[in-house]
Amino acid sequence: MIGNLLAVFLFEWKRSLTLARMAWWLMLAGFPVFIVGLIRFTTYEELPRELWAGFLFALGPMLMTMLGTLLWTTPAVSVELERRSWVYLAVRPHGTTTVLIGKYLAAVTWVIPPVIVGLTVAVPLAGTGDGWRLWWTMARLICLACPAYAAVYLLIGTILPRRAMVLAVAYTLIFELVISFIPAVINKLTVQFRLRALLIRWADMPVPSGRQAGMLTLIGDAPSWQYVLILLGIAPVLLALAVAIIRLSEFSSAAESDL
Amino acid sequence: MIELKSVTKLYGRVIGVNDFTLTLESGAYGLVGPNGAGKSTLLNLITGQLRPTLGTVRVFGEDPRNNAALFQRLGYCPGGEGLYSNVSGYDWVKYLQRLQGMTDLEAERVTEESLELVGMTESMHRPIASYSRGMRQRTKLAQAIAHDPDLLILDEPFSGLDPVGRYELTMVLKDLILIGKSVLFASHVLHEIESLTQSFLLICGGRLLASGTAEDVHRLMVGVPNEVRLKCSRPHELAALLIREQAADAVRITSDGLTVTTQNPGRLYEALPDWLASTGLTISEMHSADESLQALFNSLMKMHRGEL
Repeated sequence: MIGNLLAVFLFEWKRSLTLARMAWWLMLAGFPVFIVGLIRFTTYEELPRELWAGFLFALGPMLMTMLGTLLWTTPAVSVELERRSWVYLAVRPHGTTTVLIGKYLAAVTWVIPPVIVGLTVAVPLAGTGDGWRLWWTMARLICLACPAYAAVYLLIGTILPRRAMVLAVAYTLIFELVISFIPAVINKLTVQFRLRALLIRWADMPVPSGRQAGMLTLIGDAPSWQYVLILLGIAPVLLALAVAIIRLSEFSSAAESDL
Repeated sequence: MIELKSVTKLYGRVIGVNDFTLTLESGAYGLVGPNGAGKSTLLNLITGQLRPTLGTVRVFGEDPRNNAALFQRLGYCPGGEGLYSNVSGYDWVKYLQRLQGMTDLEAERVTEESLELVGMTESMHRPIASYSRGMRQRTKLAQAIAHDPDLLILDEPFSGLDPVGRYELTMVLKDLILIGKSVLFASHVLHEIESLTQSFLLICGGRLLASGTAEDVHRLMVGVPNEVRLKCSRPHELAALLIREQAADAVRITSDGLTVTTQNPGRLYEALPDWLASTGLTISEMHSADESLQALFNSLMKMHRGEL
């Protein structure tokens, strides 16, 4: 099983070494640098450190990580079905399981490096004075966000392969970008909520005391380790669900005329 | 080897396979049926990709759904293409052998051997995008046989191959059958299957219509009326002649000729030249509709429904 996983992982990585994919890699790395540079050189006043931390968080652990994993893992099943290559994988011992997890691992290891590289250039460019601390905070958040988002999108891709991209974009917009900012219990279901809570703690960002009660619903009051544990736990739980769904699913290699 | 008990597969309201019961011992079998007959659905059930709505499927005594142990003994060459365009045939076949659980070295060895067997050694390091249809078919067959499976399931494996390619792959498959491998070979072209095996399974409308050797099938067809279409100058005279000579059970005159229904087409074909010579009638075209496989299936379907 481990050997099979390694085979899928290496095969997917080898297949990703194309000009188009490398361009995507550069885009993921370059976009935060471009935006931070744009803000830095078009703003005359020094921006507060907290604002920079917010920008860097939005660009790295939030947007680039979401975008990278969405594009890699959401179509993991649908692309094989559309190409009609799924059947070759499905008739191998543990084929569907290893392909799913192997693709997941390839996606996570592919997305983390460019986002961290981008961050490494963007943080000094921001010139906050405590760059190392911000970099270390963002790097840890990226390493937690990437596996979690990849697992979420992979699960979406296995539940409804033929509408996976639409569903994944809808999930991102509705849950991660809207509901996560609603001060209610429902925002605790999002990855964003945990990441934001950790950002506040690890980047040592102050919570306005007068609005403490309201802010708590947005950043939570649990200890950091709980958030880390939940973020780390999302991946295995959702992967197990995705594997179970894929094992129950029926994908026919028969032509449409045969169905 | 393969056992299906009252298997029905429904896709919503559409029936893919209908109350299919079949037991196959080890050997080579041809699954024949027109397009849309349910061949691919049947193969999908046997390879465990689909779950039967009703009934049970057993391959080597086991349920094929998600059965890792069984997949070690199974080689499958599906009908569709489904190859990655930007990888080489070698990398693709090796990848699939790694998924069989082989080490890197083992996978390399069997990949080279199988690609050599199907005549792809020279082109195996080229990207699949540059392959012709025939080369893709060969590569597909290579991935199915590389891990030395006991049962090989092939869905239209000769599709897109030139005559030389067909011959070469037929030889490869014959060799596999000779060393005791079992083969289930689906096609809608009868002679493709006849070149490999004399054991047929005839399927149409998701039902098993007949099984046995080619002779069994021909025997089954004795007494089934054949239809012959003739394009001629004076159809009424020709119709009268055929009735008079008792060479036709029924005759239908059309705008440009006549359609003859007969239970004894051999007599008609033998005697027709003499009759034409003696009467001066001319025939410009003659078609036997029953030469097509579809006609055979139509007749079998009618027999199945008790209409013949």
